[in-house]
Amino acid sequence: MMDIAIYSLVDDMVSKAGTEGVVEYWLRVGESYAERMGKEAYVGWPAFNVAMKEGRTSLTVEGEVNVLTDLAIIDKDGDVIGYVYALKTCPMAPTMRRYISRIGPIPDSDTDVADSYNNRIRDSAVSNYCITHQKFREVAANNITVAKQALECLQLANKGMTGDVKMVPENLARINVDERHIKSILRSASCVFALIVKGKSAGEEIIE
Amino acid sequence: MAENIESNPFVDVSVYLFFEDISDKQGVEGFTNYMVGQAQSLAKSVPEEEYETWDDFASAVVSGESVFSSFESIEQISKCGFVTNICPFSKAIREYIKRIGNFNPVHIEATDHYNHTIQPSAAHSACMMHQTYRREVAKRITVGGKPLQYAQIGAKAYTGEIALPPESWKKVLLEKAGISETQGFMEMRENSCLYLLYVEG
Repeated sequence: MMDIAIYSLVDDMVSKAGTEGVVEYWLRVGESYAERMGKEAYVGWPAFNVAMKEGRTSLTVEGEVNVLTDLAIIDKDGDVIGYVYALKTCPMAPTMRRYISRIGPIPDSDTDVADSYNNRIRDSAVSNYCITHQKFREVAANNITVAKQALECLQLANKGMTGDVKMVPENLARINVDERHIKSILRSASCVFALIVKGKSAGEEIIE
Repeated sequence: MAENIESNPFVDVSVYLFFEDISDKQGVEGFTNYMVGQAQSLAKSVPEEEYETWDDFASAVVSGESVFSSFESIEQISKCGFVTNICPFSKAIREYIKRIGNFNPVHIEATDHYNHTIQPSAAHSACMMHQTYRREVAKRITVGGKPLQYAQIGAKAYTGEIALPPESWKKVLLEKAGISETQGFMEMRENSCLYLLYVEG
């Protein structure tokens, strides 16, 4: 029942703190959630990817993740700097279905908050919950090391309840993956992201 | 019975953290007000219901077809006495503890605040939301043309602590529910929540 509270809570919060205030709350929640999960260290990418497949990392508390090991991200020296991952089901999907079935249509405040984030911060939210979820992943990734190197999470694409898709072109460019390829992954997933060694990018120099 | 769709605990835990963040900014009072306020808003969003007889209503509640039982599985133990076997927040509470550790003390502070300022019936902060939702959703239901009334008798926290009303209230509520105090305790051993549903007259 706690999850259902999101919609009425966000509705209330929008009337008191505005959409920008709710975005700030969600960003802080994502950050504190990830910080409270603690740090993790893996000896290398195979160990980390096995942990992702088995759902043992802080990043997989959100649900089952497909580890796309065929999409290794390579830097200019040919070293593997990361992989692409696909979250099979959005964690908000069951809540949305339950809300629609038991209460009614999703309130407009959901889209209003997402739009506020998309217009001011990054155009990557298909619902208000994406704000905290994406922030959670970014902070959680920074708390994980693979071969003693901290990770960075790059949001690539996600799909909303009605099928609307958000892509983050600058992140796709950074790992040199084609948009059409990510769209094909989204056919059987709700969210696609890359985990790479912090500051690295495919085929280019380290980004400061 | 309506389809049972399980929530993702990732979302449940983040809502607890959202309330904690509110308490950082607005204190325990803000926490309590938001929890109560959003439960009121949620209840106002559900469709209204009307039943011709008490048996029709009780049957809809127990089979999960009423908005009163949208989020929990309810059993009828006497004409007006009802229990919820498993607290609908228990999964979220377990996941919070499993993932991030001890509950932030603000949940206990807010529970105390609610018990002192609204009514002494909450065993955990989630009870504030749950009981407010029940109270408000009851206002949207009529049985034989009369509005449904709800009164909380007992609530059990994940720690095993039970919140009960003051002695004078408890006696009246149990009598109205048609159960003895011993039966009430027996029900609280098996269930997470005991309450009274009735219509006046």
